[in-house]
Amino acid sequence: MEKFKVVFKPAGKSVEVKKGAGLLSAAVSCGVYINSSCGGEGVCGRCKVIIKKGKFRTEPTGRISYKERKKGYVLACLTTVEDNLEVFVPRESRLDLSKIKKGEARLHRLKGIYSETVEVDRGKPIISEEVFKHSPIATKVYLELPPPTLEDTVSDYERLTRDIKKKYDVPIMQTGLRNIRKLGSVLRHSDWKVTVTLGKRNETTELVIIEPGDSSGENYGIAFDIGTTTVTGQLINLNTKEILGTKATYNKQIAFGDDVITRIVFAREESGLERLHHAVIDNMNSIIQELTEEHNIPLDQVTGIMCAGNTTMIHLLLRVDPTHIRREPYVSTANFVPVVRSAEAGIKVHPRALLACIPGVSTYVGGDIVAGSVACGINNEKRLTLLIDVGTNGEIVLGNKEWMACCSASAGPAFEGSGVSCGMRAVKGAIEKVEINGRLEPKIKTIDGGKPMGICGSGYIDLISEMFKRGIVNRDGKINQDLKNKRIRKSERELEYVVVFKNKARSNYDIVIKESDIENIKRSKGAIFSAASILAKKFDLTFDDIERIYIAGGFGTYINIENAVTIGLLPDVDRKKFKFVGNSSLIGAREILLSYDTMKKAEEIARKMTYIELSKDPAYMDEYMSSLFFPHTNLEKFPSVKKAR
Amino acid sequence: METSKQNWTGKISVATIGATDKEGGTRSSQVTVGGETTLPYLFKEGDIPNAPVIAMEVLDIEPTDWPDALKKPFGDSLKDPVKWAVKCVEEYKAPLISVKLIGTHPDFGNKSAADSGKLIKDILQAVKVPLIILGSGDDEKDNVVLAKASEVSKGERCLIGDATEKNYKTLTASCLADGHNIIGESPIDINIAKQVNILISEMGFPLDRIVINPTIGALGYGMEYAYSIMERARNAALIGDKMLAMPFICLVGQEAWRAKEAKAPSSEHPEWGDEYSRGVLWEIETAVSVLVAGADILVMRHPKAIEEAKKYIDNLMRR
Repeated sequence: MEKFKVVFKPAGKSVEVKKGAGLLSAAVSCGVYINSSCGGEGVCGRCKVIIKKGKFRTEPTGRISYKERKKGYVLACLTTVEDNLEVFVPRESRLDLSKIKKGEARLHRLKGIYSETVEVDRGKPIISEEVFKHSPIATKVYLELPPPTLEDTVSDYERLTRDIKKKYDVPIMQTGLRNIRKLGSVLRHSDWKVTVTLGKRNETTELVIIEPGDSSGENYGIAFDIGTTTVTGQLINLNTKEILGTKATYNKQIAFGDDVITRIVFAREESGLERLHHAVIDNMNSIIQELTEEHNIPLDQVTGIMCAGNTTMIHLLLRVDPTHIRREPYVSTANFVPVVRSAEAGIKVHPRALLACIPGVSTYVGGDIVAGSVACGINNEKRLTLLIDVGTNGEIVLGNKEWMACCSASAGPAFEGSGVSCGMRAVKGAIEKVEINGRLEPKIKTIDGGKPMGICGSGYIDLISEMFKRGIVNRDGKINQDLKNKRIRKSERELEYVVVFKNKARSNYDIVIKESDIENIKRSKGAIFSAASILAKKFDLTFDDIERIYIAGGFGTYINIENAVTIGLLPDVDRKKFKFVGNSSLIGAREILLSYDTMKKAEEIARKMTYIELSKDPAYMDEYMSSLFFPHTNLEKFPSVKKAR
Repeated sequence: METSKQNWTGKISVATIGATDKEGGTRSSQVTVGGETTLPYLFKEGDIPNAPVIAMEVLDIEPTDWPDALKKPFGDSLKDPVKWAVKCVEEYKAPLISVKLIGTHPDFGNKSAADSGKLIKDILQAVKVPLIILGSGDDEKDNVVLAKASEVSKGERCLIGDATEKNYKTLTASCLADGHNIIGESPIDINIAKQVNILISEMGFPLDRIVINPTIGALGYGMEYAYSIMERARNAALIGDKMLAMPFICLVGQEAWRAKEAKAPSSEHPEWGDEYSRGVLWEIETAVSVLVAGADILVMRHPKAIEEAKKYIDNLMRR
């Protein structure tokens, strides 16, 4: 088939496309992003461009005035390429999402946050692949249709759906007027050989995109975990299920508040909602950009996005006002968000690509925990299972295929490396393993084996546990000043232990742990342990009754269970029961992206799960206070730690 | 009808305050508290071998915020802590004196550790009952002042406090070296009470020399909150939690006389009644409440309130 070169000005980027290809997706495929809030429906009129040179085909639209038409203006979404083209994208049509002001970016750094996008561990598959049938949210299908004859006069659209229905089980189909309008010409231009993208929108199958020729080999999707502290994205080949890369970055919304409540309050301020929305979209777009560039994938080949996040994060992502979440009677706008177009949210992939969010249980239990439950297969599990997500919101799920209950503990971001003086995420340069010898000298291991830069969650767990075992900290987490050692010192009125002196570090300062860091970690671990204890107690269960415990969190590839028990983060039970799963929310999002049938299971989980509100339970505060000790005020709850002392 | 009986397995530890010459001290008497094997005064379920004791409070400076009603029984002795202590013992028959070194606080005179060390020595000379020594609550200062007090009273087996979660090491080390008992203080919080005791005991301090100050509120100022914390701690102790199985000390006088209702003059609030009996009643009421919650040592102020509280104790102890 004939191919043409399209050059976009002023960016100067160009791309080769097949005859009859859409101009908007041609622009996207070479990284020129044009406004398109309707997702290429020809409705919003925001994708105006000027064709300077070359032949094209465009549909009439009321969005272009007579004057504009004279000057060569067209709507990119209604225009197809018929020649080598030179296209000018006027300023008002350029999509620029990097609207976070410089001052805000500085505030960001002041908080000690490394905000660049970095490669993270991709997360292991947890359950066998057979459970999930391969049925991605968007599938590309190549069709060679029989051309119409006098004997076969079925219309173009029916001809297309007839062929699709012959091959695939799609009872209900729909498509936009936009596709119908261009159908006649695309089919004839491409000699009746086209690729259609079939998208799943709840029960309905949508004919999302129709392209000339065969591009069915290239179909990609991105799974996202939108955390309060960290945003993680994973690029996936939707045809082969292959994971191509995983990247994470700190959520830029941190500049407007560490927790969801402050952000909801901020959303009420003038253009607050917009700024929060842009912050997270910016995070997502930079992850998408880096992932696709690294793997040489044009953006318009990304056809599906799947997001898991707590209810507030999803509201902000979609720019839906979250105010009512924190006002009695605490009702969100939507827990089950219908599938929408990613372009409507401002995400830079194919303008008609689909964006789905995993349903949440309630205002305070979001799709991230549902995704985690899917990932761990709690809904298929006969055995009594506990899932502990060691994240900012510290979600905990207890149950099996018969029943499920969950709660959420405000653990804070310490285990994600935020809010602690030398904390960082589990990425290159992060200390993830620590041992301390009798001379109080630490032996450390970084994730990449290189020089250390900071300490990640699993590093803190090891570090505090080792300091505790060596008597550097007492059970309250205070550093023993009487130990004469060069690593124990006082700075800024606070005691600290030097883990790595700066001459051995990648940072230009000593890597230390301060008493206030230990206090932060103590509160985080206390919140998580006490929430798990109260949840089990609610159902008259003890930790010994639980047969399997999944640990989730952004720890990279490693968490030392023994040390996590020593500091009292995890219950002191048979170590064989523990299984570390990594970012379970991301894994769940990936599974649902690749197997949309699983979305039904997610919905079922979301409906079935009982939410336990800890703040209403008088026993919670007491248990929490009791957990603010290493490993716990009641040492009897940690027999193995007691024995070791 | 038969009442059901609870069989308790735990026992409150027994603390002895004061050392006689036989034990290397110079006290003529001792005070023994604790040893309960039942909830307060439920003699059917266990024993209460030692009756609660009332210590009289002496300050190292002349009190500035005491109302006339409270000053009157002590007269001029308030100007001299040693005379004050002697008056408490000789005239009001106090079995135990509690010296609060409030004057060492940077905001209340900032007296030196040497001065308060001398005062403790003088009081030990002048009276022969055992002593409780309390710091001013300023962590840095207490670490110097109480260390000195501990040193000069070495061998007298005093009860010294308060050790807190944030400041327990120096005092624990001093009390350990000089053979005293220690008070572990927590802010009306059962978990912190336990945590402080654990921290103290992990320094090698014997459990039977620790006394819990649960901190209390006077009548109308959180009394019921303090009551329930004491009740819960006792319950836990009696079912076997050794880290909470210590006698309680309650600073009744200090809390009761802090209440506006106790010290406001009648001229300000004529509808509240006679100021000379109002504060006393407030102190009695507070004392009675902590007694039924399980208090072992009460530090009190007004002689009349003490007299009434003693009668109440005698009634409670009647088996």
